[in-house]
Amino acid sequence: MKKSSIVGIVIIAIAICVIISTYADSSTYGNFTDARDTQSELHVVGQLNKEKELFYKPQQDANYFAFYMKDNKGGECKVVFNGTKPQDFERSEQIVLTGKMVGNEFHASKILMKCPSKYTKDQIEVTEANAVTVKS
Amino acid sequence: MDIQFVGENLLPGKLGQFFVILSFCSALLATISYYFATVNKNKSPLGGEFNLLAASWQRIGRIAFLLNLLAIIGIGSCLFYIIYNHLFEYHYAWAHSSKTLPVYYIISSFWEGQEGSFWLWMFWQGVLGSVIFWKGKSWEGSVMTTVMFSQTFLASMLIGIEIFDIRIGSSPFILLRDAIEGPIFSRPDYLSLIQDGNGLNPLLQNYWMVIHPPTLFLGFASMIIPFAYAIAGLWEKRYSEWVKVALPWALFAVMILGTGIIMGSFWAYEALNFGGFWAWDPVENASIIPWLTLIAAIHVLIAYKNSGHSYFTATFLVLISFFMVLYASFLTRSGILGETSVHAFTDLGMFWHLVIYMLTFLFLSVGLIIYRWKELPITKKDEETYSREFWLFIGALILTIACVQIIATTSIPVFNAVFGTKVAPPADVIKHYNKWQVPFAIVIAMISAFSQFLKYKNTDIRKFFISIAVSLIAALIVTAIAVYITKVYNNAMYILLTYASVFSIIANAKILGEALKGKWKLAGSSVAHIGFAMLLIGALVAAATSKTVSINNTGGGFGDEFAKSNDPKENILLYKDEPIKMDRYTVTYRGDSTEGVNTYYRVNYQVIDEKTGKIKENFDLYPNAQQNAKMKQIIASPDTRHYLFHDIYTHVSSVPLKEETHADHEGHTDEENYEKPVIHEVNVGDTVRYRDGFMVVKAINRNASIQNIPVASGDVAIGMQVEVNTEGKKYTAEPVYLLKGGSLYDFGKTVEEVGLKVRFTNVYPDRDKLELQVYQKPKVEKTWIVMKAIEFPYINLFWGGTIIMVVGFLLSIFRRNKENKTT
Repeated sequence: MKKSSIVGIVIIAIAICVIISTYADSSTYGNFTDARDTQSELHVVGQLNKEKELFYKPQQDANYFAFYMKDNKGGECKVVFNGTKPQDFERSEQIVLTGKMVGNEFHASKILMKCPSKYTKDQIEVTEANAVTVKS
Repeated sequence: MDIQFVGENLLPGKLGQFFVILSFCSALLATISYYFATVNKNKSPLGGEFNLLAASWQRIGRIAFLLNLLAIIGIGSCLFYIIYNHLFEYHYAWAHSSKTLPVYYIISSFWEGQEGSFWLWMFWQGVLGSVIFWKGKSWEGSVMTTVMFSQTFLASMLIGIEIFDIRIGSSPFILLRDAIEGPIFSRPDYLSLIQDGNGLNPLLQNYWMVIHPPTLFLGFASMIIPFAYAIAGLWEKRYSEWVKVALPWALFAVMILGTGIIMGSFWAYEALNFGGFWAWDPVENASIIPWLTLIAAIHVLIAYKNSGHSYFTATFLVLISFFMVLYASFLTRSGILGETSVHAFTDLGMFWHLVIYMLTFLFLSVGLIIYRWKELPITKKDEETYSREFWLFIGALILTIACVQIIATTSIPVFNAVFGTKVAPPADVIKHYNKWQVPFAIVIAMISAFSQFLKYKNTDIRKFFISIAVSLIAALIVTAIAVYITKVYNNAMYILLTYASVFSIIANAKILGEALKGKWKLAGSSVAHIGFAMLLIGALVAAATSKTVSINNTGGGFGDEFAKSNDPKENILLYKDEPIKMDRYTVTYRGDSTEGVNTYYRVNYQVIDEKTGKIKENFDLYPNAQQNAKMKQIIASPDTRHYLFHDIYTHVSSVPLKEETHADHEGHTDEENYEKPVIHEVNVGDTVRYRDGFMVVKAINRNASIQNIPVASGDVAIGMQVEVNTEGKKYTAEPVYLLKGGSLYDFGKTVEEVGLKVRFTNVYPDRDKLELQVYQKPKVEKTWIVMKAIEFPYINLFWGGTIIMVVGFLLSIFRRNKENKTT
């Protein structure tokens, strides 16, 4: 057998190991109930509960941000993030948290938001919106 | 129902749309013509009627190509005209630009959207096509067939016409009223209501964003040329010939794409606030994968050229590199990355369109290889272990596996979509990638060092080991020093990577030394390898030892449990003019200034020698934030102080939102500016306290006079002399009490400096007291910012290494080009 063929086989074997272990490293999506049952970090997708107050008071602690989020099953939980309030947070449509439960709080290590940003969504700003009645 | 809309300028859009259709048709025609030109040429290599046929097909192909080039320039001009003249009746101009944008950012808004970036890609592909057109000689027909085939697909992305209820592509010339539904569009004069466009995303309003996309897309576009040569080689059975001509093109592609990627990285570092230069974001990964596979391809192309080995690997890697470009555009443009990336575009309904583009080129490549498999010049001979071609091959394969790892993790959303699973990406993405990529980098750096001492075919083992032994030992010493200085000695992998990179630098420097003595041929590769090794060290040290200097040890008040699990606290609160000691810096927030839409926060850094009290370093940084009071949001951009050996990077993470100050209105009284008065009954010598200090009633002036008001004999005018003491300073004021003609007046006095107003409002002779009213301005909240600062040591090695690597690629291009001319 050619040396390069042997090397090729070894390489393919390594590649398979790489792919398998990539998935061993991967995390899971879940809700807050799942988070309570596990010790490991997981991803929770949900929406910000806009009725409850966002807590961020930099004068007290610049690295403490807390809010309430509803996961996709409707379960609500207090989320604590060790950092500043992300820009544009109030207007987020969807939040993906990475983190785990500590007591009754979900401690997020990462927050990823989807925003209907001014720059992606088609919302027209009209200067005299209600000045004229619309004729059709 | 037809409405005559007022003020619309429809000509540029119609013209643009015409050019879009023209570009698609001409590209298709060119593809077909060049295809038949090639087929006919190959039927009769010795001439005859087929040759005549080939020539006329080629002429049609050429005309179609030039027409296509014209159409592309036409599209670009129309689109630029629309954006430049703020024709907001067009969706593209409305969505991506605004009237306040300066000209150079109008250029970046041009390619902010998907359509513009497709155009950019088409444009470059057209430019590269013209080089083949002029210089391609016998390759023109076959190479241009592939290039124009890809051009046809790109043009189809811009068509934006509905066929059988399916919209094909997305046109940049679509009108706003067609793109969006809204009640205002039923008004003929709707355009007069739309005062301004949405504007360019502020994060993209950066110098680097003007030049990064064109560079990146030139890199992506140039990947088609080596691919087209590989296809042409298989198609025309010119199996070994294509390797030589494709090599300079492949080097050009990696040089440009590498530059483009690093420019993006530099933009992220300079303008984004995630605090780094590489985040393993899927969008970044998507662009680095084809870059790595084409670099691997170049190495085996060289191996094949010099030894006849690794033909299949070379072809495979060249083909897969272009496929990876298509895969990258699928990942970033189809919206599939959704939950895993913040940078990706949203879907424009081109998901399947992109999939077809990708699969067509995949089947084309795989099909041709299978069809020609038996004829491929694959050697049956075995390589020698101590030969350069063997290690070029191994190095290329390791690079490929490194790519497989990046692809595997980046493609998690794709696997989820295909298999209906719900696997999430690793929780700590950066750690996950580094765990894999650091060992790969070590092996690659080692191979890039010692294989330079190997010869093709076979090498004298003794000589080889003697020559690398010196470098290995020298590297050991240099590594020990480097690791000590850069403080990466806590991690065995980091030490190994530093060693491998240092070894690579020393070994390649040795080769470069010989090159300078006359063997110029190897200069390109050694310079590129030195650059790459420096880049590795720079990335390693800057990423591994970057230190957040804004550690906040105060704060708290949320229980020990929170503090324990969540330190270190990386953001610090600064009140205006209150210096805070942060690592070795004394940092003071000095105030802000607004320029256009940006507010710049002046942050002063000082390094003070503790013994002598002398200021050793003193500089200001101006991290900025775009405030949008209406949206209640800020968009922050960092500012960085660059030193030779480290950078200080600072961004604001939170700032007080500016309230829109309301203007003075009618009936506005002076008292409105103050809090409710506090009433005191005093006598001479009494002391009255207030929030910021105290005041003493010094004396009574019985002969007080008031400007413009004559004091008659029966009137009483008394002044009360008050001395205000605050913060060690004294101010005096004399409010006056006036009894004139039986009516009571009083004239208050303000002390602007301390925000006070005092009034002398009454006299109580019976109690021997005087009434003093004290007004205070509401307490101004101290202005503050929350900021984060990171020190990146030796990051210049990263940027510097990149520049050296690009120079190395450039030298190699010259060398390979020369070789092609002489042979």
